[in-house]
Amino acid sequence: MSRVVFDRVTKHFGEVVAVDDLSLEIYDKEFLVLLGPSGCGKSTALRIVAGLEDPTRGTIIIGDRVVNNIEAKNRDIAMVFQDYALYPHMSVYDNMAFSMRMRHIHRQERHRRVLEAAQTLGMTDLLRRKPAQLSGGQRQRVALGRAIVRQPSVFLMDEPLSNLDAKLRVQTRRELIKLHRRLQTTFIYVTHDQVEAMTMGERIAILLDGALQQVDRPQDVYDRPASVFVASFIGSPAMNFFQAELASQGDGLVARSAGVEFPLSPAQGRALAKLPTRNVTIGVRPEHMLLGEASAKTDHCVLAVVVDTVESLGAEQQVTFSNADSTIQARLDPSPALHEGEQVLLMFACDHLHFFDPETGLRIEDK
Amino acid sequence: MPRLPVAGLLARGLTQLKNLGFGLLFLWPSILLFSAFVFYPLIKSVYLGFYESDPLGNQGDFVGFDQYRSVWGGSDFRHSLWITFQFTVYTVVPGIVLGLGLAMLANQKLPAISIFRTIFASTVATSVAVASMMWLTLLNPTTGLVTWLLDQAGQPRLNLLNDPDWALPAVSLTTIWLNLGLATIVFLAGLQSIPERLYESARIDGASRLGTFLHVTLPMLSPTLLFVTVIGMILAFESFGQIHILTRGGPLDATNVIVYSIYQEAFQSFNYGVAAVQAVGLFILVLGLTALQLRFLERRVFYQ
Repeated sequence: MSRVVFDRVTKHFGEVVAVDDLSLEIYDKEFLVLLGPSGCGKSTALRIVAGLEDPTRGTIIIGDRVVNNIEAKNRDIAMVFQDYALYPHMSVYDNMAFSMRMRHIHRQERHRRVLEAAQTLGMTDLLRRKPAQLSGGQRQRVALGRAIVRQPSVFLMDEPLSNLDAKLRVQTRRELIKLHRRLQTTFIYVTHDQVEAMTMGERIAILLDGALQQVDRPQDVYDRPASVFVASFIGSPAMNFFQAELASQGDGLVARSAGVEFPLSPAQGRALAKLPTRNVTIGVRPEHMLLGEASAKTDHCVLAVVVDTVESLGAEQQVTFSNADSTIQARLDPSPALHEGEQVLLMFACDHLHFFDPETGLRIEDK
Repeated sequence: MPRLPVAGLLARGLTQLKNLGFGLLFLWPSILLFSAFVFYPLIKSVYLGFYESDPLGNQGDFVGFDQYRSVWGGSDFRHSLWITFQFTVYTVVPGIVLGLGLAMLANQKLPAISIFRTIFASTVATSVAVASMMWLTLLNPTTGLVTWLLDQAGQPRLNLLNDPDWALPAVSLTTIWLNLGLATIVFLAGLQSIPERLYESARIDGASRLGTFLHVTLPMLSPTLLFVTVIGMILAFESFGQIHILTRGGPLDATNVIVYSIYQEAFQSFNYGVAAVQAVGLFILVLGLTALQLRFLERRVFYQ
């Protein structure tokens, strides 16, 4: 059993609240990603699990033990640092064997484990080298290898891929997923990169200003973001938002924003009718936008817009439009090619709308 | 008319000559200074070593290598060498241990730590003469603090600077104190360049405090250690002021290190020939030691 539990954990650094009343359970053998913008407290949360920081309040549980008063070395964890923190004066072999030496593990066993990890990571030919003689990717492997030989029950990783170039990052991402599958161990992985979070995490926990915003499977986070922040943080380009006002129309509801009318389904109408105010924030993802015709179906919203900029990516074009008082981003098919200043109609299906309370920023569930 | 190959060679030679000229143009200030204060005295010392000096200090008869043989083989020079060796060990080893200790204390993250850092480093700003006078007062056999402390402890008074057994340790103590600021600053800079992540990594890896010190701090400090050792040895070899003020090489030559012996031979006995031979001996010794250090210690040092 190697679950990790944050129970109402708070961490202050002087006046700054780095982690704010965080409660989160990471299941045994899960790959959980802590995601958030820089300064959101995700690294601090990880360091609290590692025992490098003490929480100001709250309880940390690893397995079945409360570890608040247990030293880092006795927590049965291994950590991969962003800058790897390899011992520069030791060879790769010694770097990997160091923790076992400190624990007085027998020389033969040490040797066996180092070789095994080196084989897993494909770096048996690097064992005699010093970190300075390695490339960034190789150092990253050594840092992983150093964690693997420990055979910990929890792996903690603090942005381990951020110092690699784009291509290597994609490759290492896949290797980490495989490694997790092979080791059958709990992984807690900190990143600010939503692509890493979406592709690697079994669940993603999103933090903002030290507070947990949402924890869910990646697809659920994408499909049903819990707040305006999560909705804008996950997805690229970010979700488009409209400030709309609700009005009665016939026996249903309609939402009106500057120049747009959002026809609402009966279920959406019922959900929004419960709101105390008549205002609502409506979100639409860029990938749900289509070029429209005037004769659109009634369950689609149509928007007259002017093309602002076009970024062609080959497989698609990312277009920024301007509308009465806002800019709207869309990911569209590469043809027809759009040009700056062109006037077009954009449309999107109403069941792709996300609704948020403009006061709290929280999602209004409509299904 | 076709150009002769000789002309090409000549042209190339001229270019090289011009380059050399330019080089010398840039170098002449330091060449001048080095010649006046290093090269000329060095050559002159070797030369003086071949001549005896008369009692008035004038250059006497040419004796060739005889003087070198008799001085280097003589008991006075060997005694001075032995004193210098002891003095070096007494000052360098405790200097490193204390300097590293103070630097580690000063490297703590505590409020107002910069006050302590300033205090620990303050001896750098103290001149040899001031430090020596201070210790002369502290060690004064009737009014000094050390005497008072011995009285309080009910121990017999000691005249440290006049006791052949204690004079060298007492001078060494002054020298350690004097050089401690420099060692502390250098060690502190070395400690601060060790990334915090390495210590965190060692903590998770299960290293004890001692283990962290031995396996992380010391290896990462090895360039600093080499530097402090070399500088400490050079400072020990060239120590003069504190010996001159505290003991004048005595009592019974107990603190007569080579540099002081050279001074006495040259400027008190006017025995320039003997002094020159001792100076050349010191030069060869320092040169050899430095070469050894660079050759053997350098290999064990880890540079990032």
